[in-house]
Amino acid sequence: MKIAAEIAASVWQIQARPGDTLAEGDTVLLLESMKMEIPVAAPRAGRLTALLVAEGDQVEEGQTVALLEA
Amino acid sequence: MPDTHTPPATSWQPELDELRRREAMAREMGGPDKVRRQHEGGRLTVRERVDRLADPGSFHEVGAIAGRAEYEPDGTLRQLVPSNCVWGRARVDGRPVVVVGDDFTVRGGSADATIREKPLMAERMANEFRLPIIRVIEGSGGGGSVKTIETTGRANLPGGVGGTGLFNYTTLNLSAVPVVGLGLGSVAGLGAARLAASHYSVMTKSAAMFVAGPPVVARLGQDLSKQELGGWEIQTRSGGVDHAVDTEEEAFDCARRFLSYLPSSVHELPPDIPCEDDPARREEKLFSIVPRDRRRVYQMRHIIEAVVDKGSFFEQGKMFGRSLITGFARFGGRAVALMASDPYFYGGSWTADTCQKVVRFLDMAETFHLPVVYLVDCPGFMIGLEAERAATIRHGVRAMAAMNQTTVPWCSIIIRNAFGVAGAAHQPAGRLSLRYAWLSARWGSLPLEGGIEAAYRAEIDAAPDPKAKLAEIEERLNQFRSPFRTAETFWVEEIIDPRETRRLLCDFAELAGPLRAPQPGRLQMRP
Repeated sequence: MKIAAEIAASVWQIQARPGDTLAEGDTVLLLESMKMEIPVAAPRAGRLTALLVAEGDQVEEGQTVALLEA
Repeated sequence: MPDTHTPPATSWQPELDELRRREAMAREMGGPDKVRRQHEGGRLTVRERVDRLADPGSFHEVGAIAGRAEYEPDGTLRQLVPSNCVWGRARVDGRPVVVVGDDFTVRGGSADATIREKPLMAERMANEFRLPIIRVIEGSGGGGSVKTIETTGRANLPGGVGGTGLFNYTTLNLSAVPVVGLGLGSVAGLGAARLAASHYSVMTKSAAMFVAGPPVVARLGQDLSKQELGGWEIQTRSGGVDHAVDTEEEAFDCARRFLSYLPSSVHELPPDIPCEDDPARREEKLFSIVPRDRRRVYQMRHIIEAVVDKGSFFEQGKMFGRSLITGFARFGGRAVALMASDPYFYGGSWTADTCQKVVRFLDMAETFHLPVVYLVDCPGFMIGLEAERAATIRHGVRAMAAMNQTTVPWCSIIIRNAFGVAGAAHQPAGRLSLRYAWLSARWGSLPLEGGIEAAYRAEIDAAPDPKAKLAEIEERLNQFRSPFRTAETFWVEEIIDPRETRRLLCDFAELAGPLRAPQPGRLQMRP
């Protein structure tokens, strides 16, 4: 399944790597918006299969940033 | 004078039989095939919807046998196809309401089978008898289809002579009675207008709403399915519809719950209910829920749930203008309109969408005499090129105007940030509200970060190590940031232990009670 950024922001810090097993709610990456660090979390438990962005990238609202295999 | 009158044989039984026969035909709706098709599509018929929405046995229909009749040569009725508008009064949780529904099994709910006065009378009844109205919408909501021109033999001027009544009440009732719209299938044109022109709209996730459907927009070169064009993910994020649910039953639950916080009309006050939750309940977790690290976010909904009467928060418009959470809640059994920032979305900054959400929500609170509670964490209006393109500042001052035009009692709790013009928009100007600041609160005309470079440019540029100079200035200014310095000059009234929040808000709701006036306000609400 796709993990999307809910807001337009820049990618501040990647916290999970492809292959990582994540629990629901685990942080995949931190976005930076309005000087705040905003986590993008795994919507359910699974294995992260791909990261589609890098630190410093700008993302749009609704953009897929990672893929998760349940 | 001799009596020449022949007494009736027995009674008016033949006429009663005729009435019952016509009523039975009306209950067949568009016929078994159309009803089956409706069910196969996973949708209830309008009569099933009304039955499940209303308290059992409470629906009193008006105009059931209005429709299009066909007669035998001898004048007896062969067939009656009912109008596609079913309406009447009913009770919802014991309270009288008006329900008006489209019958999609009769000409797809379009105008060809509509009797214009039926939905109009439903709206008039809600208005003049001061009853909430629930619009159960599917199809074009009594609007026309392309075929209408041929069946009537003339082109309809929308809003032409004699045709403005429904358009009038569609919006007029927003200032009079609670209006709930339920979109339970494909909803287009006038149907979409009637759904959007409500205080609270709900659609099922299989439904879709649009001004015009896929075949029409295909002419624009947009090849889209109903869901892609106007499904719930489009409409709840655009703010066209407030909420989406999986089943029709859930939509009825939402309608019931929404109405439970509101008076039946602007001539009454919101009903209070008994409260079993201790008004003085202190939630220990509130003491540490806001991170000391100012860059880190927290879950505002957890704060809301901790302070309101347990389970009483009813959110509306969750997917739109998401940096602000809006909904109804209760404190000590008394209903309030609650707004709260969500730092997960742009740090709680007000976007243009957020500002639109504020206007509509506050107008509704003002209309129905609901006191407002606002949990504030707003670093300002959204900034950047996209924000400027969206006219954020004009939508922002419009939201401020809506706030200033309220007359309902108001209480703000500053949880963390209050910066800039949007920060000022945390309580109405020109009258007294209650205000408390949490220990984590901080504020300013501008956030220091990013602002120092501009304000101290000459000093920084002249320094041998500009970066070190910047840090030095920031540290210098930060010592003034303490909210205690603001409190010592009485620029803020009170700083509180966050665990006291529920007690203070229950206290506010009690103080606000007698200030509410059960009469129409000056405001004429717009959708």
